[in-house]
Amino acid sequence: MLHGTRRHFISQQVFGLGSLAMAWLLNQDNLLADPTKPELESRAFDLKPRPPVRAPQATAMISMFMQGGPSQVDLFDPKPELKRRHLQDYIGDIHYDAVGQASTKLFSGPWQFSKRGECGMELTELLPQMGRIADDICLIRSMHTGISGHEPSIRAMNTGRFLQGRPSLGSWLVYALGSENQDLPAFMVLRDPTGTPVLSVENWQNAWLPSIFQGTVVRPQEPRIANLDPPVSLRGATQRRILSYLQGINRDHFERHPGEHDLAARMQSYDMAARMQVAAKEALDISQETAWTHKLYGIDDAVTRDYGTRCLIARRLIERGVRFVQIFSGNQHWDHHSGIVKSLPEVCRKTDKPTAALVMDLKRRGLLDKTLVHWGGEMGRLPVIQNEKNIGRDHNGRGFSMWLAGGGVKAGWVHGATDEVGHKAVEDVVNHYDYHATLLYLFGLDSQQASFTRANGTGSLIDGQPGQVVAPILQHPPPLT
Amino acid sequence: MQRLLQLFLVGVLFLIASERTRADESRSLRFEADVRPILKAHCWQCHGEEEDVKGGFDARLARLLLKGGESGPAIVPGQHTESLLYKRVVSGEMPPGKKQISAGEISLLARWIDSGAATARPEPETLLAREAFTEEERQHWSFQPIRRPTPPNVKQPGRLRTPVDAFLLARLESQGASFGPEADKRKWIRRLYFNLIGLPPAPDVVEAFVTAEFPDAHERLVDELLSSPRYGERWGRHWLDVTGYADSDGYTGADVVRKWAYKYRDYVIRSFNSDKAWSEFLVEQLAGDELLTPPYQDLTPEEADRLIATGFLRMGPDGTGGPNADQSVARNQVIAETIKIVSTSLLGLSVGCAQCHPHRYDPITHADYHRIRALLEPAYDWKSWRAPNARLVSQWPPDIRRRAVAVDKELQDISQQRNGELDALVRETLAQELAKLPAEIQSRAKAARETPAAKRNGEQQTLLKEYPFLSIGRDTIQQFVPDQVTMIAKKWDERTAAAKKKRPADDDVMCLSEVPGTVPSTLLFSRGDFNQPRQEIAPGELSVLNPPGFTILPNDPQLPTTGRRLAYARHLTSGRHPLVTRVLVNRFWMHHFGHGLVVTPTDFGMRSEGPSHPELLDWIAADFMRGGWELKRLHRMIVTAAVYRQVSTRRQELEAIDPENRLLGRMHVRRLEAETLRDSLLALGGQLSSKMYGDPVPVSPDVSGQGIILSVNRFNSAGQVVRGPTDLGEEVFRRTVYIQVRRSMPLGMLELFDLPAMTPNCERRASSTVAPQALLMMNNPLVVRETLAFATRVRREADAGLAAQFQLAWRLAFGRPPLAREVRAGVKFLNAQANAVRAASGKPETGTPDPATSSLAHLCQALLSSNAFLYVD
Repeated sequence: MLHGTRRHFISQQVFGLGSLAMAWLLNQDNLLADPTKPELESRAFDLKPRPPVRAPQATAMISMFMQGGPSQVDLFDPKPELKRRHLQDYIGDIHYDAVGQASTKLFSGPWQFSKRGECGMELTELLPQMGRIADDICLIRSMHTGISGHEPSIRAMNTGRFLQGRPSLGSWLVYALGSENQDLPAFMVLRDPTGTPVLSVENWQNAWLPSIFQGTVVRPQEPRIANLDPPVSLRGATQRRILSYLQGINRDHFERHPGEHDLAARMQSYDMAARMQVAAKEALDISQETAWTHKLYGIDDAVTRDYGTRCLIARRLIERGVRFVQIFSGNQHWDHHSGIVKSLPEVCRKTDKPTAALVMDLKRRGLLDKTLVHWGGEMGRLPVIQNEKNIGRDHNGRGFSMWLAGGGVKAGWVHGATDEVGHKAVEDVVNHYDYHATLLYLFGLDSQQASFTRANGTGSLIDGQPGQVVAPILQHPPPLT
Repeated sequence: MQRLLQLFLVGVLFLIASERTRADESRSLRFEADVRPILKAHCWQCHGEEEDVKGGFDARLARLLLKGGESGPAIVPGQHTESLLYKRVVSGEMPPGKKQISAGEISLLARWIDSGAATARPEPETLLAREAFTEEERQHWSFQPIRRPTPPNVKQPGRLRTPVDAFLLARLESQGASFGPEADKRKWIRRLYFNLIGLPPAPDVVEAFVTAEFPDAHERLVDELLSSPRYGERWGRHWLDVTGYADSDGYTGADVVRKWAYKYRDYVIRSFNSDKAWSEFLVEQLAGDELLTPPYQDLTPEEADRLIATGFLRMGPDGTGGPNADQSVARNQVIAETIKIVSTSLLGLSVGCAQCHPHRYDPITHADYHRIRALLEPAYDWKSWRAPNARLVSQWPPDIRRRAVAVDKELQDISQQRNGELDALVRETLAQELAKLPAEIQSRAKAARETPAAKRNGEQQTLLKEYPFLSIGRDTIQQFVPDQVTMIAKKWDERTAAAKKKRPADDDVMCLSEVPGTVPSTLLFSRGDFNQPRQEIAPGELSVLNPPGFTILPNDPQLPTTGRRLAYARHLTSGRHPLVTRVLVNRFWMHHFGHGLVVTPTDFGMRSEGPSHPELLDWIAADFMRGGWELKRLHRMIVTAAVYRQVSTRRQELEAIDPENRLLGRMHVRRLEAETLRDSLLALGGQLSSKMYGDPVPVSPDVSGQGIILSVNRFNSAGQVVRGPTDLGEEVFRRTVYIQVRRSMPLGMLELFDLPAMTPNCERRASSTVAPQALLMMNNPLVVRETLAFATRVRREADAGLAAQFQLAWRLAFGRPPLAREVRAGVKFLNAQANAVRAASGKPETGTPDPATSSLAHLCQALLSSNAFLYVD
C-alpha cells in the first residue's frame, strides 16, 4: 500500500519537486522507524521545512476567506425549486440568526445560472470569471457547521472548533511543516483595506502553539510591510553589525531563560526581519510582473485593483515558498442582511476576476498541482428573505458552498448537495472537522504532527472530533484500511 | 463496506478516544451533571425551549426522555442500543443536518442509559419556569457566596510573606514542589516599576534600593510607586481596556470623534491615583447621574466626576449620530454593546449570548438579558433616542453660561436686524419695480403678491410668472440689487463673527442620563428581534444570582430618575454579590502575574475552567471588601508577597507537573505592552512629558502613507490634504494613554505591539511575536529618533570614556550593571562601529551626529531591541 502511494507520488513529481516532498522521500523510512516524540518543554522551534509522514499532495495553501457568508443559492447552488416557490412561505424548520426582520418568504435571486466548463458545473452569472476555472475547481455544496454566528463560525472554519483561543489553520500548517523560504514569514495574512476582519488577530493567532507560528499581517496599502527600509544612516554593514551585537546579548539572555519559547521566537524574528528587508521587498514588488499579468488580475481596473493586487501577491509569496497565505475579504463584505440585489453583484465584481486569475496563473506556472486553493466564508445564507423592505438574507451555517482547487483535489467536480431550496446540506455533508481532516490528509500529516502537548492534554486541529477525510473529492483518496 | 468500516472505527473511537469519559469513568453518571448539558446544547432548541415542541418530545428532564414523544420513549434504561435517543444521534439523524455531538458525548449518553438513566435527585413535577435551572447550575462555584477561608498551613512557613503566599505554597507543596528562589533586588525593582507605573527604574534609584539596609525597603518602594501619578496612568489604562475606551464613535467608516471622552479617561486615572474605593468607583460609573439632580448644572468637581463617570456606559461604539445609519438597528446595537461591556467587565458572564435565546451553556435566560436591558432602558430609550451630541451636558459655570446666553441673544439680535434690513430692501425694491408697471396692472400685481400662494387664482399665477420680481424675498433679493445686499451681508457677517468670538468655548461632559419623568417599558424581543416584541420585563438581576427578596423598583419615587441603575450598582457593591469582586480581583491578579487565577477574565460561567486556586480567589475577594475595596492595599499585599519575589526561571521538576505555570512556582516572563514600550523609549531618551490629562494627542494618516502618526492634517473641501501635519510640539512626547484612540486609526507602532481594537472592549491583550515588530525596532523613525536621544543623554550624563558610556546605557536599559565581558563586548562594538561610521561618511553633513554619538545610538538601539529590555522577568 505504502509503496503504491509512493510510486504514484514519484510518477507525479517529474517536475517541480518541492523540498518538502523531497524531504519526505529522504526521510520517510527514518520517520516510520522512529515515530515523532511528544515535545519536551526544552524543544526549540523553528520554521525549517519538516517532512510530513505521508506523501503530501499539497505543500502550500492559499485560503481566500470570504468573511460574512457568501450566498450559496445565488452563487454556487442553483435551486429550480426555490425559483418556482419564489416569495412563497417556507414552512420547514428554519434557524434565523436572531436578528430582526426575519421573514418566511422564499427568495430566488434575479440572477441566472449556467453550465460552465467542460464539466458543466452550474455557476452564477455574477461570477463569470470563476466560470472560466470551473474545470479546475472542486465545488462543495454541502458545507455544514451547524452554527450561524460570525465568530463561532469563523473559529470553526479557521481554528477547527467554535471555541475561543485555539491556534489557526495557518499556525498548524507551519508548526507541522515549517516553511520552504527562510527569508519570509511562513504564514502571511493579506488584510483588506477597509478594516480588520471580524475576530481580528484571532484569525491568525498561534494561541497555545509557540509564537513563532503566528501569522504575519501584510498591510493592505503601501507600505505593505511597515519599516522595511532602514534609514540611510543604518543601511548595509552598519545595521548588520548592530544585529550581530544584538543577537550576542540575546543569546546570553536566552541562556539564562531556558525554555522560554517566546524569547527564542523573537531572536528568530530579527534574523527573519533582516532577510525580509530584501526578500519581502522583492516578493511584494508587483511591478516586476508584466502588464499582461496585471491585466489578468484586474490590477488595471479600479474595481478589482485592490483584491487583484492581493491575489497576485499571494501567488508571488507561494511561488517563493511561503507555506500558507490567507486573503481576507473586506470586513463582512459578504454579510448581506439587506440590499443583497445591489450589493452582492458589487462584491462579486471586486473579487471574481482576481480569484479566477489566481487559479489560472498558478496553473500556468505549474504551481497549482501542489498548492491548495480555498475560497469560502464561514457560512452561507438562508433561502428566505430577511428584511422585506430591502431584501437580504440571514446567516445559514447548516448548508453552504465553498470550493477548493489544486493540491490533490479533483478538478471540475461537484460534491454534496443541499435540500430543494438550498437551506440545509443533505447529501454528502461536509462539516468543518471533515474539511480539516481532509486538509491534513492532503498535506500528508497525521494527527501526531498536528498536535501539541499541553498541560491539560494534547491539543490538535481536529481535537478528537469526528472528522473524516472527504474521499470523493480527492484525486488520490486514502486507501481503505 | 467503507461506510461499515467507518462506523466500526467511530465505534472504537467512542470507546477509546472520548474527551471526558475516561476522566469520569470512576463515578456514576447523573442526568443533571452529565447528560443535561449535552441535551441543552444540542437538542433543547427544538425539544423544549420553543413554543412548539418538535415531535411532541421535550428533552429537558430525564422523566420526559422516558416518556418520549410521538415516536415513543426516547430511552430504554439499561439498553442504549434500544434507545431512540441513542439511535437517532449515532446515525447522525439528530441533531438535524450534520451531527455536532462528539463521539465522547455520544458515548457518555450510552453509558448513562446503560447505567440505568439515573438522576441526582427527584425531578420537579412540573416545568413551570420554562427555563428552570438545575441544582448543578445553581451550585456553580462562581454563583456561591464568597467565603473567607483560613489560609492553609504550609510545610515551610519561613517562605511566607503575605497571606496570599500560604494558599499558593500549600498547593505547590501538595504536589511536591515549592516556590522558586527569590529574585535579586535588581530584577524585583524592574518588575515592580514596569508592573506598577509602566516605566523603567532610573539607575540611581536601583542602586539606592540595592544598597538600602532598612528591612522595609521593599515596602517603602511600593508605597513610593503607588503614590506616583504615573501609577494611575498605568493601571487606569488596564481599566480603560475593559471599558472599551475610545475617542471616536466607531460603528461606521466615518468613525466620528468623541471630543469629550477624554474626561472619562482622566476621571479613571484620577480615581486610581486617589485610590477611590471600588465600591464607590463602580456606583459612580453605573449610576453617577442618579446621585445628582437634573439638569446637572453648577456642579462641584466631585459632582462633575459622578456625571463624567457614567462615560463608562457611553464607551461602546455608537453609530446613531453617523450618516445613513439604520436607526432602529444602530440604537439597539448601542444597548447590546453596553450590556456586553457591563456584563463582561463586572459579572464575568457573557450575558450578551442570551440576547436572542437562552444562554447555551450558562443559566442565563432570554428574560434575564432583558432584565439587564431594562436597567439601561430609561437612559437608552430606543423609541425616543438621543444621538451622541444630544447627550452632552454643558459644564459652564453660571457666569460663563450668562456670557454665552448674552452672546446667543446678541447673535439673535444681529440676525433679526439683518433680516429687518433685508425686508426693508425687499419692500423698497418691490415698490420701485411695481411703479415701473403700467398703472392698470399695478394694483392687481400687488394683490397677487399679497395673496398667499395657495389661494392665488389663475390670473394671479400668470402675473407672478410674467413678473418674477413679484416673488422676491430675502433669499432672492440679491438678483435684483446685488450691491446693496452684499453691503448688508458684509456688515452683519462681520458683526456675527465678532459676537461669536465672544462666545465661551464649549465645556461638555459625555455622560449617560435619563430624561426625568419618562419611564419606557422594556419588552422581551423574541429571538432578539426588535420587530417581535413580547411581554414587558421588569429591571432586575440575573435570576440565578438574585438573592431572595431582592427587587429593583421600576421607578424609585425618592429619586428624580428611575433609580434602576443606582439600585443595581448598590446591589453589585453590597459586599454580598458573588461575582463582582471575584471578577475584579482576578483581573488585578492577571495584571500582576500575566494570568488570572481564572484564565478567562470575562467568563466565570459553566464552560470556564474554574480558578486554579478557588480558596485564594475567595480570600482575596473577601479581603478586598473587608479592606474597604481599596486597590492599593491589594497591590501591596500582592507585590510584597513571596510569590511575586520569585525568579522566573523554569525548573525541571516544576515543568513536569505544571508546564503552563498555573501554580505559580515561578514568575512569568512577560513582554512589555505597546504603551509601556513607547513610554519607556521616550523615558530613556529623556523626552517623556509628564503632562497629565486633557485633550488627547491627535492622530491622523501620514500624508506619505506610512500609516497613522501623531499629527493633525488639514483637509480642503475635497478631502485632500492641503497642508502637512501641524507641529504638535511637546505633545508628541506625552504618555501613550493620552494619545487619541480612534477606532479606525491605531497608531502604527502600538498596533504592531498588540494594541487592542475596541470592538467593543478588550478582555485580555494578545502578546504576539512577529517579524514586523523586529523591523519596527530596526528601522522605525521614532525608534531611531529615540535611540539618538538616548545616546545623546548618555554622552551628556556619563564620563567621556566609552566604557563609562556603555555602562550607563546598559544600566538605564536593563537596570543592572554589565559584567566585565559584557563591557568588553560593548566597547568593542562601539569602537568598530565608530570606525566604520567614520570611514563611511566622507564629509559630515551638518546636523548629522558625530561618529561617536552615532555608534552609541546604534548600541542603544541594540539594547532597546533586545529581549533583556523587551521582557520583564
